[in-house]
Amino acid sequence: MINLLPLIRNECLKIIKKKRFYVILLILLVLVPMFTYAQMRIAERSQNKFNSDWRLEVQQQITDNQNSLGSDRIPEEWKSYRKIFVQQLQYYLNHDVNPNEPSGVTFTREFLDNSVTLFIPLLIMAVASDLVSGERTTGTIKMLLTRPVKRWKVLFSKMAALLMFVSLIVLSTFLVSYLISGLAFGYKGFNVPVFTGFQISGDSVDMSTVHAVPQWKYLLMQCGLIWFVSVVVALLAFMVSVLVRSTAASIVVMMAALIAGTILTNMASAWTTAKYLFMVNLGLTGYLAGTPAPIEGMTLAFSMAVLAVWGLASVIISFTVFTKRDILN
Amino acid sequence: MNDSKWTWRSVSLISIAATVLLIIGFVYAVNDIINPAGDTLQTSLPQGTATPLTGTNELLKVVALGDSLAKGTGDNTGAGFVKRAVDGLAADGEHTELLGNMGINGQTTLGLQNSLKEEGVQYELRQASVILLSIGGNDLFRGSDILKDGSNSSTTSNSSAVDKDLTPEALLAALPEAAKRLGLILESIAKINPQAQIYYVGLYNPFGDIPDLLVPGNQAVAAWNNAAMDIINKHSNMTLVPTFDLFNRHLDQYLSSDHFHPNGDGYQRMGERIVQAVR
Repeated sequence: MINLLPLIRNECLKIIKKKRFYVILLILLVLVPMFTYAQMRIAERSQNKFNSDWRLEVQQQITDNQNSLGSDRIPEEWKSYRKIFVQQLQYYLNHDVNPNEPSGVTFTREFLDNSVTLFIPLLIMAVASDLVSGERTTGTIKMLLTRPVKRWKVLFSKMAALLMFVSLIVLSTFLVSYLISGLAFGYKGFNVPVFTGFQISGDSVDMSTVHAVPQWKYLLMQCGLIWFVSVVVALLAFMVSVLVRSTAASIVVMMAALIAGTILTNMASAWTTAKYLFMVNLGLTGYLAGTPAPIEGMTLAFSMAVLAVWGLASVIISFTVFTKRDILN
Repeated sequence: MNDSKWTWRSVSLISIAATVLLIIGFVYAVNDIINPAGDTLQTSLPQGTATPLTGTNELLKVVALGDSLAKGTGDNTGAGFVKRAVDGLAADGEHTELLGNMGINGQTTLGLQNSLKEEGVQYELRQASVILLSIGGNDLFRGSDILKDGSNSSTTSNSSAVDKDLTPEALLAALPEAAKRLGLILESIAKINPQAQIYYVGLYNPFGDIPDLLVPGNQAVAAWNNAAMDIINKHSNMTLVPTFDLFNRHLDQYLSSDHFHPNGDGYQRMGERIVQAVR
């Protein structure tokens, strides 16, 4: 046990020295201002149109969605999605709470909601996909394994370091997005109420359990769910990096899986067994916001169970493969 | 070496703190979603109404309400009579502002009655000083397929469908009920915002060029417009804007390809009427 901590420390320093984490920060620093600017333009435009009365804007949004309900060209699933959306907007309006109160905090909340299924997993992959396969590509794996340290300890220390960086990535995504969008929208808004607890059944929403949560708590819960998703993605990417010899291949495998997930969630519903795939279950924050799940029958407990099974399986596979395999090249 | 020692210390401390925080958030979230505790925020929308029209150059706050005509279906530019009327008023030097357009395709008097109970709708009506209302067409001509948005692929097949579905009896049967609801709608709008001027857009007969439907259509529309007039005449803050004459015998010119909604030119004429009524 004594020599585990220095190993973890060593792995952490390797990740830092390889500058993977800086790349992630750089990506955030480039992309978040772009999203902030886009959002700012939208806000400006609607302010001109609605004379800064958000209630009129929300009512118009309700009307627009109601209009599309009558159209035959829109698929049924979208209609029920919009019906739910309309009911939620009306709930916000009835309680005089602006669902899109412009602030850096709200921007961060929406940004996190949108990035949980693809963007944050991609950032995680930037660290995770390289951990083992990177050592094999450069050949340093031999040096590592000739030390008098058990193989599982080597792998465990890598995994521990990875999990530390998962938390750091989630934290820095939040911080960068808050600090940059705050420049444009202001840093206040932590106490604005957000509604959660919408129970969706079919295309109607049960409002009896809806309650207001201050936005800071909402963000905390959201980040917690994102953390869980990220850990699972990290473990999966880690397994792929154990199984595949080159970093490029391991990134491609994970990316293909994630992108397939976004495509599947958009096509969705008809193929119900797809709900057992991990990539369809990444949108945990949707359960908090009350957006309908991509496939009928998915709940938070279900998605978490699916993700946990995938995560555990990948840990087991990583360890068995890594401890048994001969390192040849 | 000293450098890496500090890096390690700070990275490990921050990441452990972050992990603990995130796990707390995770537990909160799971708990909140699986056992949600309902408690409602006791706030409601501001109840004040817009200031009444007094001066000549007061700001006109326009809100539109009703069916596809209010929405502007059939107008290729999407403007409809609402935007055209607002633009017309602005061109005449009035300070005009369109607060919102709550027109919904296929809206009937029954549907509108329900949506008037929504707080958001009421709030928007309270902000208005001019309310444009168009409703009733779907009640009167219900059952004909052309009312549905998106089925305007071929006009010829539609007119044969019209012949089957629209009988004079059917047109007149829906009238008394719907007219009663129109009265209730107008009264509840006036109750929601007593200070606003309400302009009700009368119906025209979209089937005037189909020989079998010319007379029954005209009768039904005239009966409807009369019923509307009866109600509107009893209130000083309501005006009926007739459109029957605008379209009669000019249907090919002013109706869009779905043979029911006006086209851009038709909406322009309606908009001009409204400008005349408002000023």
